[in-house]
Amino acid sequence: MKNRNQYKSKIKEGNRAVTAILYLLAALMAFITVYPMYYVLILSLSEPQYAATMKVYTIPKGFNLGAYEVLVTDTKMWRAYANTFLYVIANTILMVITSTTVAFGLNYKKLIGRKFLTMFLLIPMYFSGGMIPSFLLIVKLGLYDSPLSQIIPAAFSIWNIILVRSYFRSIPDSLSEAAKIDGAGILQILIKIFVPLGKPIFAVIAVYTIVATWNSWFKAMLYLPHTDWQPLQMHLRRILVETTRTVTQAMDPAAAKEAAARELSNAQLQYAMIIFTTLPVLFAYPFFQRYFVKGMVMGSLKE
Amino acid sequence: MFRKIHNTKGESGTKQKKKYGEGIIKENLQVYALMLPTLLLILIFCYVPLYGIIIAFEDYVPGSSFIGKDVDWVGLKWFKQFITGHYFARLIKNTLVLSILNLIFGFTAPILFALLLDQIKHLKYKKFIQTASYMPYFISTVVVAGMVISFVDTDGLITSLLSVFGFARENYRTNSGAFPWIYTFTNVWKGFGFGSILYCSIISSIDPGLYEAAKLDGANRWQQVWHVTLPGLKAVIAINLIKTVGDILSTNTDLILLFYTPATYDVADVIGTYTYRLGILEGQYSYTTAAGVFTSLIGFAITYVANKISNKLAGVGLW
Repeated sequence: MKNRNQYKSKIKEGNRAVTAILYLLAALMAFITVYPMYYVLILSLSEPQYAATMKVYTIPKGFNLGAYEVLVTDTKMWRAYANTFLYVIANTILMVITSTTVAFGLNYKKLIGRKFLTMFLLIPMYFSGGMIPSFLLIVKLGLYDSPLSQIIPAAFSIWNIILVRSYFRSIPDSLSEAAKIDGAGILQILIKIFVPLGKPIFAVIAVYTIVATWNSWFKAMLYLPHTDWQPLQMHLRRILVETTRTVTQAMDPAAAKEAAARELSNAQLQYAMIIFTTLPVLFAYPFFQRYFVKGMVMGSLKE
Repeated sequence: MFRKIHNTKGESGTKQKKKYGEGIIKENLQVYALMLPTLLLILIFCYVPLYGIIIAFEDYVPGSSFIGKDVDWVGLKWFKQFITGHYFARLIKNTLVLSILNLIFGFTAPILFALLLDQIKHLKYKKFIQTASYMPYFISTVVVAGMVISFVDTDGLITSLLSVFGFARENYRTNSGAFPWIYTFTNVWKGFGFGSILYCSIISSIDPGLYEAAKLDGANRWQQVWHVTLPGLKAVIAINLIKTVGDILSTNTDLILLFYTPATYDVADVIGTYTYRLGILEGQYSYTTAAGVFTSLIGFAITYVANKISNKLAGVGLW
C-alpha cells in the first residue's frame, strides 16, 4: 500500500498550486467535521457569563468546571449511564455468541438443509414487518417496559452472521479434519479451533455492536415508556432535544437547584452533557475505526 | 461398532457414498443444537412481525392475536384510506424532497471526498484528515441533533455565521424553509467521511499501471480521475445508487423525529414519522401498518426498476 502510493506520486505530478488547493480543501473538510465538537467543548469550559453569550470561538474564555460539577450530581444521568453499560455489555456478548454459532453451523461442510437455512437468513435482510408489527410483538411477549426489550431483540444480526461466516470460510478445513481424527467433537472443534482463530472478526462485530448500542435510542423510545431503564441516549434526548423544557427540568431536583445557584445557562449545561457522554466514544473511535474499515471492506467483498 | 468407525473415517476422507451416515446425522443434530437459540430469535423477531403485516388487511383490536376467530377482515380499506387521505400528498412530497436532496448531496459527498483524498499523497496528512472525517459517524444521532438544534437557535453558532452573510437572526429549527437544508447537511456531515471508506479502499485497489499508461498518453490530473479512477468506481457507485434510489421512500426517520416540531410538520413530516405518531402514540395499528406496507412495496418496485436500468446501462446490479 505504502509503496504503491509512493509509486503513484511519482507518475502523477500535477500543478503545484492545484495540489496546494486540494490539501487546503481537505483540511477545511476536517475542520468542518471537528470544529463543532471543539466549540461545544470550549463553551462548556468557559466562565458562565461568557458561555451565556455563546461567543466563545477559539479558546475557553476563563475556565470553569461548574457545569461538570453539577452534572456529576445528577443521579438520573448516572442511572442512564449504568443502563447503557448494561445494554452494551449484554448485547456485545450475546452478539458474538449468536453470530459465531450460526456462522459455524453454516460453515459445517455436511450440513443438512443448507439451502433452506440460507433462505431463512436471506429473507429478513430484504423484508421486514416494520415498526408497528414489531411493536405489537414486543407488547405480546411482555417485553414492553422491560430492560429485556433492549437486549433480546438486539442479540443477533444476520449481517454479522454473514460477516463471521465469510471469515470462517478462510479457516482451512484441514484443521477441523485433523481435530476430528484426534477424536474432537463438534463443540470442541468450535471452541478449540474456530473461537481462537476467529478473534479478529469477533473484534469487528464487537466494536460494531458497542457503538450501535451506545448510540441507540429509538428502540428505547418505542419500548421503554418509563425513565428507570432508559439508556443514556434517552436522557440526552430529554436534555438536548425536547423543546418544551429547560435542561434543569429534566435533571434531578438537587442537581437542578445547584445549576440555578451557579447561574449556568441552558446551553452550557447541554454542552457539558454532550462532552461528558460523548467522551468515551471520542476516545475510543480512533482505535475502533480500523475495525469498522475492516468490517466494511469485508462486507462489500461479500456482496 | 466396526461399521461406525469405518463410517466416520469415510466421511472425513474423500466423498461419501451413502447420503447421510449415522455420524453425519449425529453431527448435524449437534450443529443445529448450537444454532437453535439464534434461529429461534430470528424466527420470533424477524418472521413474526413479517407475518404481523396481515393486520394491515383487518380491523385489528389491540391485545388480540394477529389472526383469531373473530378477525374483522377489511381488505384494502386502510390502503385506500391512506392513499386518499388528507396527508398523503404532503407526506409523499416531503419524503421525496428530502430523499432527492439526500441523493444530490448525501450520495455524492463521499465519492467526491474519496476522490479528494486520493489526491493527498502525504500519507500521515491523509490519515489525519480521514480519521477526523469519521468522527461524526461515531457521535450518536441524539447528540448530533442536539448540537444542531442549539447551533441553529437565535444565538447559536450556525445562526451567528449566517448572520455575517446577512441572514436574519432567528430560531431556524422552527423555520419550514430551512428544515430540508438543516436535515440534509446534518446527514452529509454525519456520513460523508465514513461513507468514503468503501470508495477509498476501491480506489487503492486500482492497478497503478493504469495511471502510468494514462500518464504516458499525456493525461493530466483531471483526465486521470475521469478516465481511470471513476471507471474503477463505476460498479460500486452503481450499486450504492440503486440502494439509495430504492430507499427513496424511507428517509432517516430517526433524525427527523429528533429535529421536527409541529411548526415544521408541513415540510418535515414523512411516512416514518407519521407512522410513529399515529401508530405508536395513537394506537391506529392497522392503518399505519398499511402505510408501512405501501412504502415497502413501492420501495421494492423502485429498487427492481433501478436494478434493471443499471444492469442495462452499467452492466452491474444487485442481482
